[in-house]
Amino acid sequence: MSTSEPFSMLKHENPTHVKAIRSGARAGLRVARPIAIRTIDVHKSYRRKGIEVPVLKGVDLEIPDGGFTAIVGKSGSGKTTLLHLLGTLDVPDAGEVWYDNQRIDNLPARKKDRLRNQSIGMIFQFYHLLPELTALENVLVPQMVGHGMFSYFRNRKKFSDRARELLDRVGLSHRLSHRPGQMSGGEMQRTAIARSLITSPALLLADEPTGNLDEENSQIVLDTLFRLCREDGITLVMVTHDDRIASQADRCVNLVNGRVE
Amino acid sequence: MYKLLLSLRYLRTRFIALASVVSVTLGVATLIVVNSVMNGFATEMKSRLHGILADIEMSSPGLGEIPDPEMHLSELQEICGDELENMTCLVRVPGLITFEFRGRQWTQQVMLLGVDERTFSNVCEFQPFLQNSHKQKTLDFSLADSGYSDRLGDCGWSYRRDKESNRRQVEAILEMERRRNSYDAMLGQEKAEDHSAGASTGTEPAVNFIPLPSAAPDINAIVSVQQELESPMPITPFDPASRHRRQLSPSEMFNPNRDQYPGIILGIGLANRYVLNPETGEKEELFLIRPGDDVSITLPSAGDNPQPVIDNCTLVDFYASNMHEYDQTFAFMPLERLQRIRGMIDPVTGSASVSSIHMRFREGANLEELRNKIESHFAASYLYFPYVIQTWQDTQRPLLSAVDIELTILNILLFMIIAVAGFGILATFFMIVVEKTRDIGILKALGAPSTGVMSIFLSYGLSLGAVGTGAGIVIGLIFVRQINGIADGIQWLTGREVFDPTMYFFKEIPTIVSPGMVCWVAFGAMTIAVMASVLPALRAARMHPVEALRYE
Repeated sequence: MSTSEPFSMLKHENPTHVKAIRSGARAGLRVARPIAIRTIDVHKSYRRKGIEVPVLKGVDLEIPDGGFTAIVGKSGSGKTTLLHLLGTLDVPDAGEVWYDNQRIDNLPARKKDRLRNQSIGMIFQFYHLLPELTALENVLVPQMVGHGMFSYFRNRKKFSDRARELLDRVGLSHRLSHRPGQMSGGEMQRTAIARSLITSPALLLADEPTGNLDEENSQIVLDTLFRLCREDGITLVMVTHDDRIASQADRCVNLVNGRVE
Repeated sequence: MYKLLLSLRYLRTRFIALASVVSVTLGVATLIVVNSVMNGFATEMKSRLHGILADIEMSSPGLGEIPDPEMHLSELQEICGDELENMTCLVRVPGLITFEFRGRQWTQQVMLLGVDERTFSNVCEFQPFLQNSHKQKTLDFSLADSGYSDRLGDCGWSYRRDKESNRRQVEAILEMERRRNSYDAMLGQEKAEDHSAGASTGTEPAVNFIPLPSAAPDINAIVSVQQELESPMPITPFDPASRHRRQLSPSEMFNPNRDQYPGIILGIGLANRYVLNPETGEKEELFLIRPGDDVSITLPSAGDNPQPVIDNCTLVDFYASNMHEYDQTFAFMPLERLQRIRGMIDPVTGSASVSSIHMRFREGANLEELRNKIESHFAASYLYFPYVIQTWQDTQRPLLSAVDIELTILNILLFMIIAVAGFGILATFFMIVVEKTRDIGILKALGAPSTGVMSIFLSYGLSLGAVGTGAGIVIGLIFVRQINGIADGIQWLTGREVFDPTMYFFKEIPTIVSPGMVCWVAFGAMTIAVMASVLPALRAARMHPVEALRYE
């Protein structure tokens, strides 16, 4: 199975071709790959000023291991909420979320924290770097969070080397000691990508990573993201409303009114 | 690790944190300074009071007497046992002292204390306050040749002799004047006689002839009159003439050049005044009398029908405890002398009564308990008069309780200042938590547990507290060390006296930095800083990651 083709065909804008790939991928994945993430009848609603607003109304989803899955949909369709549920940042009102053959929505907080730290990387539209820290330190934060002070101190060389390597791979080896405030949006997002990969997770959740970037920077970020995921064999789940990006996906999940279409 | 890194970074990059640090610093510094000064004042004052006053004093009320002190002493020794270290007897009687200054008689009221030279210093701190270095070592009531503090200026035997020789010179001049007048008168008489008789008798004048060519006194003439006035009398007890002379002029028995009256030590406040020097514009100390001068004392005699008794004394030293109350009232005399002139010695038994018995106990003895023991012993028996038995704290109760109240109120006020600082930290931290909402969301998204997020802010609070407290301790200690310089500086700036030494018992602001107090202040400030960061930290820990991430 080759994952390089979809990533490299970003510039092709042939809807039929996209559709063909989508259906083909769907057909192929179901047989060839184990399921990485599965949601079963997930419901989620928000309560605003006493009024309950349903966001997800029974989402059944299966995301296979490896490759790139895009979650598309209009604004307010619940894409981001679904991504948060997948990343255990939020808890569904009803239904189940499974990851790696383990139900994760009802895990104790400590295990969820561990899971987020070690197994799931996350990228956000607004980068979400810590403004007080340099690029290198930002990349190291997940390792600091995941390790006790002494264990981090013992392994600091190893971690730092890994962080430098990742920053090098995202093309930021010259920006190690810069603060987020001194970097461009694209650079910040690439730093965020490096951060999300520092613990070598198997799953990367990205929430509109290019939503705040111009076309050129978007391209660089996406290229970086796809390249790294491909090289490291990471499952990429990306929320986007950009059809051009979705067309690169191995598989596309269309969310309409809180349900998968 | 991230907790430490972030709390340090927040500390370095948030200026608002500086405000908290400053408030903690100021609070800590204020507490240290105020406590050190108050501690210094209280300790210095207490040690002075305790030193001057005995541990326990048993006294007869008013001008009453304790008869047969030896019996009382042995009973006290029996009651108190090993706890008792030293005892001394005192006679205390109000009186007047009169002395001459610039040709006028000055009278002042004093509290005359008859003290036992041998035992008094073992019980009460006395000698360190004397102005003569020899008397500081061994107490006696004789005038010294030297060793007086420079502050007193000219005093001692040399001063006494100079004064005496001046007095004699004046006397000689007056005598010379008197003789010239009488010589002139005689010459006038002779002239008149010559005139009437027509012949000179040629007899020598009755007094020595001293040629006085001019009205100005000739120094040689004065000296010769002086020598004549001082010419040694044949002081042999067998010489009837000399005995006759002694009886005629008792002053001959007492030569101020050589002799002194019984010694008296006055509180320095009785003798000195601060007068403005018109040349320098500053107040200078002026002594009305000095060691070497004679004073006379008037005091009531003991017994049923008190009569005024007058005695002469020679001032031998000053007592300067810097406790103005004492320095301005006390006059110390030898116990035995005071007993004798007041008639306190029983002519039959030879036993001398006293006014009070002062006791010094072993360090750390429970004075209250001992006082009660003594009190119950003497109260139980009808043999005894109801003596007043007081510990030194009882004696100075009003002053000590005033100081205690002051300390309490000050500490309450200071605590409020620190509480204000605490609320400052609380408000600052809430702001920082709100400001850092997104960061909290990010950290949680990256797998930081709630406890970790909480401990960021707790350790932030702790490091703010530590930095603030550390700076506060340093500033506070420097301030305490330089407090007198700072007081002078403020005085120079504002023109108002910050610390008036005449108001207090000390020449400069006393300070005592107790390490325990500094530790408590540091601990308290750190606790307040951490406590103030608990609520914001809890809020941060409870924050929902999704909402925190969405926060704009």
